[in-house]
Amino acid sequence: MVKIIALVIITFFNIVARAQYAGYTLSNHPETFRKSFAEATSSIESVQSGFSQEKMLTMLSEKINSSGKFWFRKKDKLRMEYIHPYPYLMILSGGKIFVKDGQKENQFSANSGKVFKQVNRILIDCVSGNMLNNPDFQARVFENTGSFLIEFQPTAKNLKELYKNINIVVDKKDYTATIVEMIEVSGDKTIIRFQNKVLNAPIPDSVFNIP
Amino acid sequence: MHPFPIRFLIFLSLFSLNISCNQYRHLKRTPPDVNCVEKFKPIFLREEYKISVDVVGKHISGLLLIKYMTDSSTRIVFTNELGFSFFDFGFSQDDGFVVFHIVPQLNQPALIKTLRKDFELILFRNMDRNKSYNLIDSSIVYHAYPQKKGVNYYITDDQCRRLIKMQRSSDKKPVMEALFFDSPPDKSPDSISIRHLNFKFSIYFKKITPIAS
Repeated sequence: MVKIIALVIITFFNIVARAQYAGYTLSNHPETFRKSFAEATSSIESVQSGFSQEKMLTMLSEKINSSGKFWFRKKDKLRMEYIHPYPYLMILSGGKIFVKDGQKENQFSANSGKVFKQVNRILIDCVSGNMLNNPDFQARVFENTGSFLIEFQPTAKNLKELYKNINIVVDKKDYTATIVEMIEVSGDKTIIRFQNKVLNAPIPDSVFNIP
Repeated sequence: MHPFPIRFLIFLSLFSLNISCNQYRHLKRTPPDVNCVEKFKPIFLREEYKISVDVVGKHISGLLLIKYMTDSSTRIVFTNELGFSFFDFGFSQDDGFVVFHIVPQLNQPALIKTLRKDFELILFRNMDRNKSYNLIDSSIVYHAYPQKKGVNYYITDDQCRRLIKMQRSSDKKPVMEALFFDSPPDKSPDSISIRHLNFKFSIYFKKITPIAS
């Protein structure tokens, strides 16, 4: 009887897990993925791409769109330059964060706040492939024929207050992130899609220079 | 300390208090012209603004969505550029207010109360015609709408051709001033400025044209 109940429970959770992301099934070999992912991302030194961002406000049935350019260079340099709907620049480099909003420039340490440090790490880890090693999250791996979907559920209390989970869709061809989906506790979500990726092309230091 | 400086300081503070005493006292009170302010009321159907907030030396920016809902309420959502939602406020038709969402870091009653009052002023809410009155200062008219605490003023020229500015005040002096820029009738302003006078807190909104979905 106990075995039957256990089987029903396992089947139920398996169905829930399978039904969670349309077109994806829970990976039976997350460790194999973890290993292949680590190997593949270790050879990625830099990423350049365009991105489009869609903020979905669930309760208002609204979307706010933006887009821009993205640069990443190992190990901790990242530049996100929004072009639409207005210029906005953010550079993460060497533990510092630089933000330019119109004529206003702000610079501060990534360590200046716990949440900021964690969010900074999420951004870098998403593209560098280190997300699976982030102790602030618990990961589950789903897959379909062309991609993996890694679901990260926050374990740190302060992140749990902000995010329900963060999902990253990774292309099976090159193991790079194609979509980052951040789902907030409120149900609102932000989807960042990376397009026209160029891997391992040299990126000059000036791109990440903080004035 | 010598007693003289203390007495002098007390005198100085009383003197300053007297100076800062009721800044509206010299104005002549008259019956209200309730239709005047109504014509400057902005209509926010669905507007996206770039918003810049400067508060005690800190600068925050992001996108502000103001949307008129089918239940006649107005929702105001503030997100940063990376898409993270700071707050989502709802203002119902009956002057009710709901915090649908706010990040823990901003979830402080005093801050929520300040933002609520600021938004209520620029949304032209809590305007009880039965309590309103006008204050006249030569060619300027202060259209006064008493609130639970303090008064909201919509300041126009005496011909009611132009909304000069808006003020939130305590019983004696203004605590916040707001301005609309390029605000056509029955539409939403192109830009809005909010400036607090008792501490360093200002908000500037600039309308943005959304890109196609």
